[in-house]
Amino acid sequence: MKIEIKNLKKKFNENYVLKGITLTIEKNKSTIILGQSGCGKSVLIKTIYKLFDIESGSILYDGKSEVDIDKFSMLFQYGALFDSLKISENIAFTDFINNKTNFKKKVYSLMNDVGLDKSIFDLYPSEISGGMKKRAAFARALYKNPKVIFLDEPTTGLDPINSDKINELILRVITKRKITAVSITHDIKSAIKTGDNYYFIDKGVIQDKGDCKKILKTKNKIFKSFISGAKY
Amino acid sequence: MKFIENIGEVLIKLFSSLGKFILFIIFFFKYLFRPKFYFKNNLSYFFNIFIESIPIIALTGIFSGMVLALQSYTGFSRFSAESAIPNIVVLTLTRELGPVLTGLMISARVGSSIAAEIATMRVTEQIDALKTLNTNYYNYLVTPRVLSLTLALPIFVTLVDFIGVLGGYIVSVHRLGFNDNLYLLNTIDFLSLGDYLSGIFKAVVFGFIISSVSCYCGLFSDKGAFGVGSATTNAVVISSILILSSNYFITELFF
Repeated sequence: MKIEIKNLKKKFNENYVLKGITLTIEKNKSTIILGQSGCGKSVLIKTIYKLFDIESGSILYDGKSEVDIDKFSMLFQYGALFDSLKISENIAFTDFINNKTNFKKKVYSLMNDVGLDKSIFDLYPSEISGGMKKRAAFARALYKNPKVIFLDEPTTGLDPINSDKINELILRVITKRKITAVSITHDIKSAIKTGDNYYFIDKGVIQDKGDCKKILKTKNKIFKSFISGAKY
Repeated sequence: MKFIENIGEVLIKLFSSLGKFILFIIFFFKYLFRPKFYFKNNLSYFFNIFIESIPIIALTGIFSGMVLALQSYTGFSRFSAESAIPNIVVLTLTRELGPVLTGLMISARVGSSIAAEIATMRVTEQIDALKTLNTNYYNYLVTPRVLSLTLALPIFVTLVDFIGVLGGYIVSVHRLGFNDNLYLLNTIDFLSLGDYLSGIFKAVVFGFIISSVSCYCGLFSDKGAFGVGSATTNAVVISSILILSSNYFITELFF
């Protein structure tokens, strides 16, 4: 699915978080949204997902303004697994709450895809590690075979080794399943590894865009200072 | 000037919250009558509330009944009206103390837990996750809790009434020397169905107040640990105030 965003504006309590974002998410490509904490990255993807209304501007999904959000999935920053449900029930949530019971095979297959051991099938989120939670949340996001997956800082809170594993996993799965991916991150290494195109947001507007493989060659001063960690 | 500004700010916040709460109730009824009814979820929530609250309900009932018998005796013995104690115990419990004390206890026990749970879900993006999974959070979170508590509270009040009368009986017979058969006879004869039903009506209203206020406070909590704490405190305080104030108006209705 191709998503085109034109002059998107979004405000909370009179403060504009997004001040006219224009970008294109190409079909079956991995688009990375980069930016400092609080620059509006999460608001942007939640707005694209239709979790928030927009103030002005437009979002077109394959050329149409209406979309069935069942074609979307999201991996939240800290997983957002439901504490009161087992891992298997979390992964197969939509079937589980509709009292369908034949999800075991599909859950095992997804757990295998994301590198989760079968032994955690009946455990609760509080009983597994942060890395496992991310993988379980990723499996839940894949359960409904989405056309577009939104990844909100997928490596946050993980050590470098686990971050790398999650990046490899995301890359492998979205390539294999031909999913359009939109990832938020402020980790340049992850962006280069998992992305095709990038957009850099600062103060609610797009400051730079380009090919992820050429991120380090950017000429944009603000983005350069973001990469190097220096003050602009 | 600053003082007037502050008052204005408080009033705007108050009416804004009131408006949001009314909208919340409208949405609750909208989804209640146009439901995707998660039956298993509703049923399990009802049993959870029930099992977790029984001990606290039993203790509330027994001690209220016992204290009521002792205090009534202190007053009534001054003008030789001790025989009215069974009547006073059963009437006070069924019409007043049963529903109000149960409401306050359940607000502290269950209301706080509902608000904290939903606020935590909000803070940890679980509510957003529900939306992304195409699940209406009114149907999944609000309806089971509001329905369960509104239906459970009349049962709790019936239990408190029964256990309270039992407490009064134990103290009156074994401590104050009442005749056991006479005590029971006076209790049963004096109690009318209307007395019991007025208490049950209060219980239904209080159950709805506690559950809806707690769900609202959880769903619209601020972010972070502070937000969860505030949601929990607000749920208990607002529910308690509404229980005590609505109790007066319902009493007037049945007076």
